[in-house]
Amino acid sequence: MSLIECSGLTKTYRLGDETVHALDGVNLTINEGDFVAISGPSGSGKSTLANMIGGLDQPDSGSVIVNGNDLAKARDKDLAAYRNSNIGFVFQSFNLQAHETALENVISPLVIGGVGKKKSRREMGMAALARLGLEDRAKHKPSQLSGGQRQRVAIARALVNSPKVVIADEPTGNLDSQRGAGVMDELARLNREEGITLIVITHDPNIAKRAKRVLNIVDGRITEVRGEG
Amino acid sequence: MKAGDQFRTGWRNLSRQKLRTTLTIFAIVIGAVSVTVMLSLVTSAKSFLTSSFEKTGEIKRVIVTSHQNLSYRESKWSSSDGSGVRLTDEIVATLETIDHVNSVSPVVTGGGFNEASVDGKTESLNGAGMFGFVPNGTIHWEVLAGRELEASDAGTGGVLTQVMANSIGYKGNYEELIGKTVTFLTASKDQQNGQTPLEVKVVGVVAAEDRLVIVDLEMAAGLYRNAGQGEYEKQKAQCDEMTKQNGGNVPPDCQKLDPNQFGFDPIKQYGYASIYVDMEDDKYADQVINDVEKLTGAGAAAGRDEVDDQNKAFTIIGLVLGGIGGIALFVAAIGVINTMVMATLERTREIGIMRAIGATKKTVRRLFTVEAGVLGFMGGVFGVALSFGVATGLNQILNKQLEDNGVAARNVVSVPIGLALIVIAVTTGIGMLAGRLPARRAANLDPVEALRYE
Repeated sequence: MSLIECSGLTKTYRLGDETVHALDGVNLTINEGDFVAISGPSGSGKSTLANMIGGLDQPDSGSVIVNGNDLAKARDKDLAAYRNSNIGFVFQSFNLQAHETALENVISPLVIGGVGKKKSRREMGMAALARLGLEDRAKHKPSQLSGGQRQRVAIARALVNSPKVVIADEPTGNLDSQRGAGVMDELARLNREEGITLIVITHDPNIAKRAKRVLNIVDGRITEVRGEG
Repeated sequence: MKAGDQFRTGWRNLSRQKLRTTLTIFAIVIGAVSVTVMLSLVTSAKSFLTSSFEKTGEIKRVIVTSHQNLSYRESKWSSSDGSGVRLTDEIVATLETIDHVNSVSPVVTGGGFNEASVDGKTESLNGAGMFGFVPNGTIHWEVLAGRELEASDAGTGGVLTQVMANSIGYKGNYEELIGKTVTFLTASKDQQNGQTPLEVKVVGVVAAEDRLVIVDLEMAAGLYRNAGQGEYEKQKAQCDEMTKQNGGNVPPDCQKLDPNQFGFDPIKQYGYASIYVDMEDDKYADQVINDVEKLTGAGAAAGRDEVDDQNKAFTIIGLVLGGIGGIALFVAAIGVINTMVMATLERTREIGIMRAIGATKKTVRRLFTVEAGVLGFMGGVFGVALSFGVATGLNQILNKQLEDNGVAARNVVSVPIGLALIVIAVTTGIGMLAGRLPARRAANLDPVEALRYE
């Protein structure tokens, strides 16, 4: 069942005098429960595509249809609500709030979304941490955690609002291979066991190998699609 | 995002930069204190003036004088010199018939006392004044000890003002003075020249800025008459001596010696110094003044107008002083803008994260606006608290000053609660307003760019 339908996505940036086609007529359908890897050289537009799917960026033209609504035309408020409840972002550099504890970081989407009260937020946050085996790190600040633990906190934050889709942009890029593999195991497990749609941006062929589908973007175009899609 | 969460987040973010937050708040505190203290001073001065005028009944008073177009203050010090309208008992009777007039008291002023003795001790006075009136309820003073003058005190009793009591060595011991007899002399005893001393049994001490002995009208007027009598007797004695030396021939000058001429009565001659009128309410002032001028041709001035004039002056002073405080607040607002711009720069990446996990532009904007508002609010609260402290300090100084100047005043400066609340509201508003620009900037950041910000 198709979850997100992208058609004719274009996005251009100006870099000095140069016009960069980050996306150049991209068509893509993502189904519920997919595990999609988007690979490509840096600057190829893979992050831009992921951000559009995640409602963080909007295309110059084309549409991103989710549940019959076009994100390309959605207002800030609706996009924010979409990001808050449907999408979980995981970033290469973790992007945790340094002054907050792991638990506080994890529940921040609940705070921003106005979900629940103090007690239920805490319970939801602890549950999300527990899913990643981090319940004993709840009161630690990011600086007191290892890189792998930080990324797992970030994943817990992405999961806390029970999103349909997790978008991970180079999730292992800042980790050594062992820890990176551990993080990928967690993400793959979520996709496998909980049916969460997983979109991973990577240029690591080992990660791409684990995905059910691999998209390759070069110069803003999807040049190769492997897998069912 | 829920409002409570916004405040909590804003508060947390502020407490992350304690020094900067403290300094920014401090600037607002300075602005808030200057506005609050300056406006409090002015409103306190106003209410002090109004309440003292109300306490003494001056707010309902009209002073009728020989000349029109005198201010109330000038009317207070007017004396009869024969020019203008002669203020007679007929005029007093006319004034009593005017609508909304409660009571009327003619006033005689004079004195020029240079000495006062009490309990055998003599103090030099250097021209203290005398105030004679009819104690019929028209004129009141604020009593510090004893009581006000009553009709039964006629001819014997008198009231001293605080300054007078201080001058004769009873500063702070006003109760002790009650019941004592004080003798006032216009000149030192050896050159008395027939002047009659004024002997007063003190029944009370009242608050007033002037050095006065206050007695009933008859007693005051009598002093002048007696003074004339003394002079006649002195000249008569001289004439008798000369006649004796002349072998019984009365010298020509002495033939003209007429006791009636010496019975010089300035009141009969010139009329009263002024006539005080007590109205039912100060709102009748214009009407009563109008009637007085129409019926008698005399001048009249209302205490209420004096209060109004002074209050107008205080309002102008207040605007100027408040303006200075306003400039301080304006500068503080720039500090808030600066702090919040810094904050948005430092937290660019955080803003990106917030947007990614579902914050709307509005949420981000509100978060920064709330933070700026909290800065303003804190500045206002601390500023107001400090202002109460400053007011207390000022009162301690002013109480002493005023007391030395013969004004019974306690804690003149007070910060009106309404003003305090307004100042807090205004500083909060200024903070939020100052935070608008940085908040807008933060809200309009591209989340993708913000997430990449190093």
